[in-house]
Amino acid sequence: MKILVVEDNRELAGSMFDFLSQEGYICEMAFGLGEAKNKLLLFSYDCILLDIMLPDGNGLDLLQFIKAENIYTCILIISAKEALDDKVRGLESGADDYITKPFHLSELHARLRAIYRRKKMNGSNVISFNEIGLNPDTLEARVNNKLLDITRKEFELLLYFLVNKNRILSRQAIAAHLWGDYTDNLANLDFVYQHVKNLRKKISAAGGIDYIDTVYGLGYKFKSD
Amino acid sequence: MKLVDKFTLWFIGIVILVTPVSMYISYYNIKEKIYEAEVIRLKEINDKIANQLRAGKIPRHSIFDFPAGIVKLKKLPKDNVAVNEYKFYNEQLKRNECRLDVNSFYTINGTNYKISSYNYVTKGEQIVAGMLKAVFWKMLLIILFVAISARLVSRYILLPFKQSLKTIQDFSLKQKEKIDLPHTTTAEFKELNCFLKKMADKATDDYARVKEFSENASHEVQTPLAVIQSKLELLAETCIGENQAALISDMQNAIEKLAKINRSLLLLTKLENQEYETSENIRFCKITREVLSSFELRLQLKNISVNTDIDKNVYLQIHPVLAEILLNNLLSNAIRYNIEDGLIEVTLSRKMLMIKNTGLPPEVPVEQLFRRFKKSNQCADSIGLGLAIVKQICIVNGLSVSYQYADGFHVLEVDFPEERVSQDTEPDFEPVNFKGTPALG
Repeated sequence: MKILVVEDNRELAGSMFDFLSQEGYICEMAFGLGEAKNKLLLFSYDCILLDIMLPDGNGLDLLQFIKAENIYTCILIISAKEALDDKVRGLESGADDYITKPFHLSELHARLRAIYRRKKMNGSNVISFNEIGLNPDTLEARVNNKLLDITRKEFELLLYFLVNKNRILSRQAIAAHLWGDYTDNLANLDFVYQHVKNLRKKISAAGGIDYIDTVYGLGYKFKSD
Repeated sequence: MKLVDKFTLWFIGIVILVTPVSMYISYYNIKEKIYEAEVIRLKEINDKIANQLRAGKIPRHSIFDFPAGIVKLKKLPKDNVAVNEYKFYNEQLKRNECRLDVNSFYTINGTNYKISSYNYVTKGEQIVAGMLKAVFWKMLLIILFVAISARLVSRYILLPFKQSLKTIQDFSLKQKEKIDLPHTTTAEFKELNCFLKKMADKATDDYARVKEFSENASHEVQTPLAVIQSKLELLAETCIGENQAALISDMQNAIEKLAKINRSLLLLTKLENQEYETSENIRFCKITREVLSSFELRLQLKNISVNTDIDKNVYLQIHPVLAEILLNNLLSNAIRYNIEDGLIEVTLSRKMLMIKNTGLPPEVPVEQLFRRFKKSNQCADSIGLGLAIVKQICIVNGLSVSYQYADGFHVLEVDFPEERVSQDTEPDFEPVNFKGTPALG
């Protein structure tokens, strides 16, 4: 997957670049609107990560540009602006999703995979890893072709793990993924533990291998090797 | 009291005060004129009698039917003419009479004469009586006309004022166009309109500036936060020991908290700026059930039992995002401040939403709970903005929220005003799915 990161903050762009490169994506950076336009005219990208406030213009203008030039790509808006009308306007102008700063890189990755799946895979949508298979459309999870009896949150959690294999997922990142940034409740972190525990139990019960490791003090990791 | 009534009363008061004075002046003047005319006439008669004497004719004792008297005098007084007013009671007519005597002095052919004539004149009381009657009708007419015409005229004169008032009442900081006040020729209203326009423009400018500032501030803070968060995530992936892991974990916690506080404060600002106005009615009962079910696991963990009494078809005029934040904050509070094996009661009707939960008595005064960063039982896992946000949501949506602690129960009640609730069954409202909407507290 080829990704263009449009973000004027070089440190943040660098973080995204590092993370996505580690995941094996081809990643390029543009620090402004003009640069992004030039790149879009010359190359094609599967996904664009787009910051709204750019030094030489509004990121939403790039959406118009993409529409006008008939460029087929997925767009994920990254913004510090939480203004509701911005969000609606962004989604209406052709963006596929919207994520607000600050975000977890693993969350960004999960969102990216989700919109890429939706747009490029056209339905044939089962994500599988060894004996585990997940269908995001039907919310069905299978281990060794046996249907798992898991809750929606557990399904989302497993999908999150599968997308971010071999990554340390902090409890904060998992909590934010499962519950959004809901409420000022930091106790959600304890529920993360419960959810992970239940999920591991259910996979093991269905004869699956327990891939999920606890990383001391930091969170969890889905080990694929 | 209306302005027109005040003006009318003042005017009538002035008329009542001035009338006696003006009556006295007119009375005095009228009397003076009557006497003056009479005196001139009687003097003329006296002169005529004197002329007859001079001509040697024997004057009659009355001329033009005016009785006259001629007396010879030894010595002339200083003045040529003396006027006497003579009041007496007329027994026959049984009333007071007023007689005016005019004595003129002449020297004719070496002899001094006093020629006097008199006539009855209109008495002062009669003048006053006549004037009083006139004044009564005059006052009645003035009051009547002032009262009626003031009402009619004020409607016309105050029209620009009323229009300005309406424009200002309808004025909202959110509207982008400048306010348009009606044209007026009244100096005071011109001044008022000028002032209103200046104020409104300034308020709009300030609002835009504050909004811009808060948005910029959020952008400026959130981007470095995102940098730190992403760098920490990358750092955690590197080869680190247990000690470093613990340090990173603490930092992640702190950043999480910082990000939440920032977002919550921004949400409060946006609520105060009324950015979440909506005219749509949502199915509040449905959202309540959904939010409640999302708390299932947490309820299980604390072994809290829930009793619900949720009416069907409760439609409320509120932004769906706000409804969710409201319920989330209230329910998570009800769980957080609950005891093990506790109880939560959720009641929803068309009149109100009530969430009752068991828990320890609050440690801070009840009225402070809705303030920012005030926490009962200083719970470490909360940033203390939940109830402040609940309150702000209620304010912008015209709901009223109250809290009390009684019999071991915390009771939070949100009352719905009638105009915000609708009872018709509309098709299910499908909320726009803002995944990861920062519906926080």
